[in-house]
Amino acid sequence: MKADLVVDAKGLACPMPIVRTKKAMDTLQSGQVLEIHVTDKGAKNDLSAWAKSAGHEMIDMIEEGDVLKFWVRKA
Amino acid sequence: MKKRVAIIAANGGLFDAYKVFNIATAAAATEAEVAIFFTFEGLNLIHKEAYKQLPLPEGKEQIQQGFAQANVPSIPELVGMAQEMGVKFIACQMTMDVMGLTKEHFVDGIDVGGAVTFLDFAKDADITLTF
Repeated sequence: MKADLVVDAKGLACPMPIVRTKKAMDTLQSGQVLEIHVTDKGAKNDLSAWAKSAGHEMIDMIEEGDVLKFWVRKA
Repeated sequence: MKKRVAIIAANGGLFDAYKVFNIATAAAATEAEVAIFFTFEGLNLIHKEAYKQLPLPEGKEQIQQGFAQANVPSIPELVGMAQEMGVKFIACQMTMDVMGLTKEHFVDGIDVGGAVTFLDFAKDADITLTF
């Protein structure tokens, strides 16, 4: 999937993946897609909850080994 | 309208610091307006010197390694990040007076206020937490 920006938050613990994601999202325009890579297992639920609460659309989530990848479209 | 999160930090250990600042930064990252009222031992969490080496609970000192292994940010890093994202810090004037502390003992950018300063913010809060 094509993303406008990729956040590498691998190896980071809570709350850093969310903080990095939020900062990256702030630089995007509405409708653009952010791709996020994390290894923090808590981020699986956290990023979904974050997207929901901020009104962004969680497009897809896949697991590649230890890495979780998310695609979120900015509201 | 923005969600509002009001937090009271009343304890001064390393675990307390992580509870407070993780929730605060996560809330700020979720577009909430966040203020933390630091009172009594909670003042350690923003004390320029003390916050660099907050104590672990007695008998749990070995957990220090776990923090390093899990790549958890340090408390000064989390404090900086929280402030960067607009989290408001209010230090309790009364506790400062009791402990002989002034604004200069704390990290930059804090407000000093009484209980009513916090209550005024907290009265419209969607979430209120005490640590």
